[in-house]
Amino acid sequence: MILDMAFKNLIRQGMRSLLNVLVTALIIIAIIFALSLLNGFQAQALRNMSTTDVAGGHYRVPGFDILTPTEWEDLTLPVPQALRHLPHSEKAEVLVQQGQLFPNRRLFPVQLRGINIDQSLLDLPLHTLKNGRMEIGETIPVVLGKQMAKKAHLTVGDTVVLKWRDKFGAVDALDVRVMDVAPMINPRIDEGVVWMRLDHLRQITQRAGEVTWVAVKRPVGPVAGFEFQTVENLMADLLTLLKHDRRNTRILWFFLIALAGISVFNTQILNVFKRQKEIGTLMALGMTSKKIIRLFSLEGILTALMAIVAAAVLGVPFFIWFQGVGFDISHLSETGFPVREKIFLDIKMAEVVYSTLVTVGIMVLMSWLPVRKVARLEPTQALRGRAIT
Amino acid sequence: MGGQDFIALHNINLEIEDGAFMSFVGPSGSGKTTLLNLIGGLDSPTRGEVVFNGFHLNEMSRDQLAALRRENIGFIFQSYNLLPVYSVYENILFPLLLNKQKESQVRDKVMALVEKVGLSAEVNKKPAELSGGQCQRVAIARALVKDPLLVLADEPTANLDVENSHHILEMMRTLNQETQAAFIFSTHDEKVTRFVNREVALEDGYVKSDKVKQPNGELI
Repeated sequence: MILDMAFKNLIRQGMRSLLNVLVTALIIIAIIFALSLLNGFQAQALRNMSTTDVAGGHYRVPGFDILTPTEWEDLTLPVPQALRHLPHSEKAEVLVQQGQLFPNRRLFPVQLRGINIDQSLLDLPLHTLKNGRMEIGETIPVVLGKQMAKKAHLTVGDTVVLKWRDKFGAVDALDVRVMDVAPMINPRIDEGVVWMRLDHLRQITQRAGEVTWVAVKRPVGPVAGFEFQTVENLMADLLTLLKHDRRNTRILWFFLIALAGISVFNTQILNVFKRQKEIGTLMALGMTSKKIIRLFSLEGILTALMAIVAAAVLGVPFFIWFQGVGFDISHLSETGFPVREKIFLDIKMAEVVYSTLVTVGIMVLMSWLPVRKVARLEPTQALRGRAIT
Repeated sequence: MGGQDFIALHNINLEIEDGAFMSFVGPSGSGKTTLLNLIGGLDSPTRGEVVFNGFHLNEMSRDQLAALRRENIGFIFQSYNLLPVYSVYENILFPLLLNKQKESQVRDKVMALVEKVGLSAEVNKKPAELSGGQCQRVAIARALVKDPLLVLADEPTANLDVENSHHILEMMRTLNQETQAAFIFSTHDEKVTRFVNREVALEDGYVKSDKVKQPNGELI
C-alpha cells in the first residue's frame, strides 16, 4: 500500500516530480559523461603514446636518458643479436643523435631521430621518407612534426642547414630538405625532433648498424648489453599527469554527486514543509510515523529509480550521438598531451554502475534525512501546518 | 504564549454516550478544538484522563493511539484535509487500506458511500476539482467508511455557505442514525444547534453549560 501511495504521489505531483527526475537524470548523465570523457582522453593519450613511441617497451643502451642530450652521442650500440631476427612488425630500431638546424640563420638545437623505415610497429607518418633513396644526395630528406615546423618556421620543401658530429667527433653539415610536415599526435616525437631514415642518420654519423634503442612489440627477455625499459617507465610522466587528472575528476564527481544530494534534500525539505497538513491528516487517519517516513523515503527512492530510467532514455542516444562527433580538444595539442584533435567516450560499465549506485544511495539518504523529523511531529501541530518552520 | 504555559481546558468532566450527536460550542479560543483533539487522541492532557471505549488514552503509545484512531475514530476537518493527489474514490478508500483491507473486498462499500453522499458523478475527480461542499461530503464519507465508533468534526461547516452547511448537517444526522457512530462537532455556528441532541458550551476552557435536547426539541 505504501509503495502504491508513494508511486501515486510521485506521478500525480506532475511537473515537480518530473523536474526532480530530470535534474537527477542529467546529473547521472553528466557524471558518466565526465568520467567516460576522461577515460577516453586517457585511453587515447596512452594508446597514442604507445603506437607512436613506446610500443611494448624499449631495449635501450644502458644509461641513455632522453633528457640528457650531451650524452646521446656516447650511448649507441650495435643492434643486439637477440633482436636482429625480429620482423619489422615487431621491432623498430631507433638512433637518436644531437644536431643543430639553422633556419633563418638562427641556431635551433634538435634531436635527430633515425628510424628503420621498413618498420611497421610504430604508427608514424613517415611514408615520404620511404620513397627516398638509401644514398644521401645533395640534401638529406627529413620529416618534421607540425609543432616543430611551426616553431622553426619551416614548411614542406624548405631546405635548411643541419650540423652534427659523427662518431669520431668530427663536425659536419649538410642541407636537409623538409619532405613533409606531418601531424605527430605525440608531442614527445614532434617538438625539437627531426625525423630521418635510420640508414641516413647512421651514414652521416658513421654509426653503421648502431641504435640507441629498439622498440619491441613485447619483451623478449634479457638482452646482453641492453636494458629493458617497461611501458610504465617510459610513460611515467604521462601516467603521473593522468593520475592528477583523475584526482581532479574525482573532485568534479564529488561536486556533481553533492549537487544531486542537495537538490534531493532541498526537494524533500520542501516536501515535508509543504505537506505538513497532509502529514497531520495521515496521522489523524491513523498512519504511524514510521509508515509516513517510509512513504516519503519511498517517494525519494522512486524518484531515484525513475531518474535512472530517464538517464538511460536520455543518455544512451546522447552518448551514441557523441561517439559520432567526438569532443574537439585541438587546443590541448599544444599542452603536451599526446592526443588527436578529437577524443571519444570510453564508457566503463563498472564506473556507470558504481556512479549510478552512489547517486541513488545519496538520493535515498537525502530523501530520508529531512523526513526523520516527521517522527517527532505532534499531529495537532502538523495539522495546523506549524510543526516545521 | 511568550514562553508561558497556557491552560486550554479546566475541570472538564464529560461522559459521551454511544451514538451521540452533539456539539461543543463557544467562541474562538474557548477550547473546543483542544477538547476534540484530546478525545481523538491527537493530543494528550497535561493532567487528567481521557477514556475512550475502555482505553486510557494517556497510557497509550503513539503507535497505539494511531491504531485506535485508525480503527475507531473518524475525523472531519474545517478545511476538509483531503489527500490532494487522490480521487474522491481513493480518498474514501484510504482509511480501509490503512486498516489492511483489500480494495477488491471493499469497493462496493466505498461506492455505496460515494452514492450516499451524492458524489457518484465526481467519483474520479480530485479534490481541486470539487466545490467546498463536495469536499466536505468526501471528508464525511472518509470518516464513516471504516464504521467508526466516533466521528469528530472540527468546525465542519465553517467554510460552507448556509445551504451547503444545512445539507452537510442533515447528512451527518442521517448517517448518525444509520450507523450509530457518535458525532461530536466543534462549532461556533448557531445553525448547528438545532441539529444536535446535546450541546456543551465552552468559555475560556471551562464548561459553561451542558444542554440536552428535550422531547419538545428544546435544549435544556
